Amino acid sequence: MVAFVVFGEALTLGLVSGPACIAACGPVLVPSLLSERAGVRSHARYLSAFLGARLLGYLLFAVAAWELGALASLLPAPRMFLMGAVNVLLACVLLWYAYSAKHICGPSCSESKLVQIGATKNRGVGGAAALGLLTGLSLCPPFVAAGVRAAELGSLAAALFFFGAFFVGTSVWFMPFVGMGCIARNQAVITVARMAMALIALYYLSMGIAMLLGRKGYGY
Amino acid sequence: MATNARLPRLAPAPPRSIVRSLLLTLPIAVWSLLMFFHPGTHTDPKSRIAAAMTALFMTALFFMMMRTGKTYRWRRWFFVTLGILFPVGFIYNMVIARGTMGIPIEEMIAGRTPFCFMPIPLLILPAALTKTLVFPGSILSSGRGIAAMVGLWLAITLVLGKGWCAYACFFGGIEEGMAAVPSRAKIRKIDPRWRYGPWAVLLAMVLLSLALFEPAYCMWLCPFKAVSEYVAARNTVGLVQNGIFVLLFAALVITLPLLTRKRTQCSFFCPFGAFQSLFNKISIFEVKIDQTRCKSCTVCQTACPNMSLSKESIARGETLLTCMKCGACVDACPRQAAVWHIKGTELAWKPERARLMFLYSAWALAVMFGGSIIAQGLVTILHFLA
Repeated sequence: MVAFVVFGEALTLGLVSGPACIAACGPVLVPSLLSERAGVRSHARYLSAFLGARLLGYLLFAVAAWELGALASLLPAPRMFLMGAVNVLLACVLLWYAYSAKHICGPSCSESKLVQIGATKNRGVGGAAALGLLTGLSLCPPFVAAGVRAAELGSLAAALFFFGAFFVGTSVWFMPFVGMGCIARNQAVITVARMAMALIALYYLSMGIAMLLGRKGYGY
Repeated sequence: MATNARLPRLAPAPPRSIVRSLLLTLPIAVWSLLMFFHPGTHTDPKSRIAAAMTALFMTALFFMMMRTGKTYRWRRWFFVTLGILFPVGFIYNMVIARGTMGIPIEEMIAGRTPFCFMPIPLLILPAALTKTLVFPGSILSSGRGIAAMVGLWLAITLVLGKGWCAYACFFGGIEEGMAAVPSRAKIRKIDPRWRYGPWAVLLAMVLLSLALFEPAYCMWLCPFKAVSEYVAARNTVGLVQNGIFVLLFAALVITLPLLTRKRTQCSFFCPFGAFQSLFNKISIFEVKIDQTRCKSCTVCQTACPNMSLSKESIARGETLLTCMKCGACVDACPRQAAVWHIKGTELAWKPERARLMFLYSAWALAVMFGGSIIAQGLVTILHFLA
């Protein structure tokens, strides 16, 4: 009965905070998905890797939250350092992902109608998994809320269970992103996605470096 | 490919008679008087002088458009003047109101920042869905001023499409002036993929704004903060933000236009311009390339300040989505193949009439919106001269 209540609580928390998770993951998820080849299958594959790694990030966080008592109540300095490190790593992966997308645009994008054999190839799921893991470790507000609750639970298994249910709740909101596979790809879409990823990576990089140096992320 | 020198140049249309040009200018003259001299507007001689100068300036430019049949050259005088005088009046008012150009966060949260049209793409949806203005700005003490501005922008945009960027934007004039300085471009070969830059900035900024709950473009990337309002920096990051604004301004608004003769900030960076381009699909006015006259000399492509023409688009007889209807290609074409066009009509249907209908709409906006900014800048200058 208790497990059922905990599951319901975590699921509800995930469902209601899903839009905030979408907003927090959007800068990473949307351009990286747009840089994939068109097609629902390739997008489902990407999202599976992304969400799977995100679940791993959640569970790692759950272990930490339970072990440390309440990670959310960490002192500001270590929390800022952790966030800074995650941001820098996220920026590096995004930059690599933007670079690696240069071969995505194949025959469907070529200006001539010639078929370019070997011009396109499926990217591995490593990039999607790395992005999912790092966004899973980000301390966004709903995630911190879940961390605080998980830290109050009596056992590590309960904390893991809580985060698993929380993950299921938030993941529902990610499902519509598979539909982005229906957007036709051409050179414009791929280039815009790559440029956007580079810009977002620069943002994360600058914020990460500022946090690692112990600065506030804002100048006001 | 044929070069311009080898092409048979069609004889340009003779200038209109002065009387006919004056008659065509009359509606704009009346509109200018209505805009600048309606009762109760001016309380001091300096503002009356500034209003008279602006009305005369705008009417004279329109007259020259009618007389010569050229659009771009005369529009550019207006646009550069607007770009130069906007910071003059704006900074003066900022200093009077606040004592500094720097805006601290308390002022932003209190909604005491001046309105800027740049975040309009970011505020429409939240305002419609939640009745909340995510951009902390107002031009009156309540949101009514912003609502009026957004309404005005929407009405203008539906008619002119991206014409906003050539007849209303008070930021583009400085770089257009810079682009006009050199007689030849030092950098002529530009990778066309840079044209996708504004769309990438728009995508990145919309996503980051959603994630961070802040207008990310205003906080980090707006080059025009350098000549309007900067961050009241209280730590190193604030200084970095201001440094980014100044660097982007120096690169995109000053240096690159001088080297390329293009409006590089608009062409490669401005997210508002990308958003505005979408409305070209709705606007009834457009520029087309008449394939029966075009010899693919690409003079229009070189003349376009916004890189809105490509060989492929010329072959299709149309401009790219980003065309801001400035008229540079129409003026430059030696065979009058680039023509103004109203959607739904045949291409050969009286392009000059299409031009007139567009110009009346665009210039009425220019007088109302840009003219008031020019007049404000002139008042400031007269104030200092006195």
